[in-house]
Amino acid sequence: MTICTCMVQEGQITPAQEAALRAETSAFAERHFGTLGEINWVTVPSGNGYTEGKLSTSVIVSVTADRSLAPSQRIPLLHELEEIWRTHANRTANEVVSVIRDPQ
Amino acid sequence: MPLYIVNAKAGAMPKEAKPKIAADVTRIHCDVTGAPPQFVHVFFFEDGPMPPLGDKSAMIFGQIRAGRTDAQKAQIAREMAASIAEHTGLGADSVHAFTTDTPASWVMEGGDVLPEPGKEEAWLGAHEAKLAVEAEAAE
Repeated sequence: MTICTCMVQEGQITPAQEAALRAETSAFAERHFGTLGEINWVTVPSGNGYTEGKLSTSVIVSVTADRSLAPSQRIPLLHELEEIWRTHANRTANEVVSVIRDPQ
Repeated sequence: MPLYIVNAKAGAMPKEAKPKIAADVTRIHCDVTGAPPQFVHVFFFEDGPMPPLGDKSAMIFGQIRAGRTDAQKAQIAREMAASIAEHTGLGADSVHAFTTDTPASWVMEGGDVLPEPGKEEAWLGAHEAKLAVEAEAAE
């Protein structure tokens, strides 16, 4: 399984959005890394997330690749992952942090 | 990125301390590294799984861009731990802080791959110009 950690702010993602994000992120992992994503969904309790010192509206999604990626491979994947989250979480670009890690 | 996760034992982190610590963490990170504050994230958890508390009452774990010096990392850890101790009333030995490095090239924020340390100003200028063009096109 591909580990996918998704951090969202409590009350900012509806159950329908969460279902779509889980499915799309898992499918992204399968498409590019060969196995469905194991989603580690983390909700930051309301009033406990800050960005730039202010209450946060950011989401952070981190996926661990199955291999070391060259920049030419990683960058398109980062764009694709970011687009999934912008679309399904209804966030602006500045509210989405996407990370694709090499395996340890 | 950076992402700072603060984990504390139940009841150890008063609600009113959190915005003060978040402000301190943001300021300390930016003062030490020269990074812009826009992308400093600070998330608080109570008895969360990460980072493990062990015998500590509060921990702060920062995932920061690779390329900072050991001295910068030590200063970040020292000052952030002190901030938590100050705002919570916990003893200094009950608080621990540490960071791990994440290559900038692994992270996208605002639709752009993050810059290497020291190249933030040029990156921010280009990033804001791009967003302005996109906003204009959307109107």
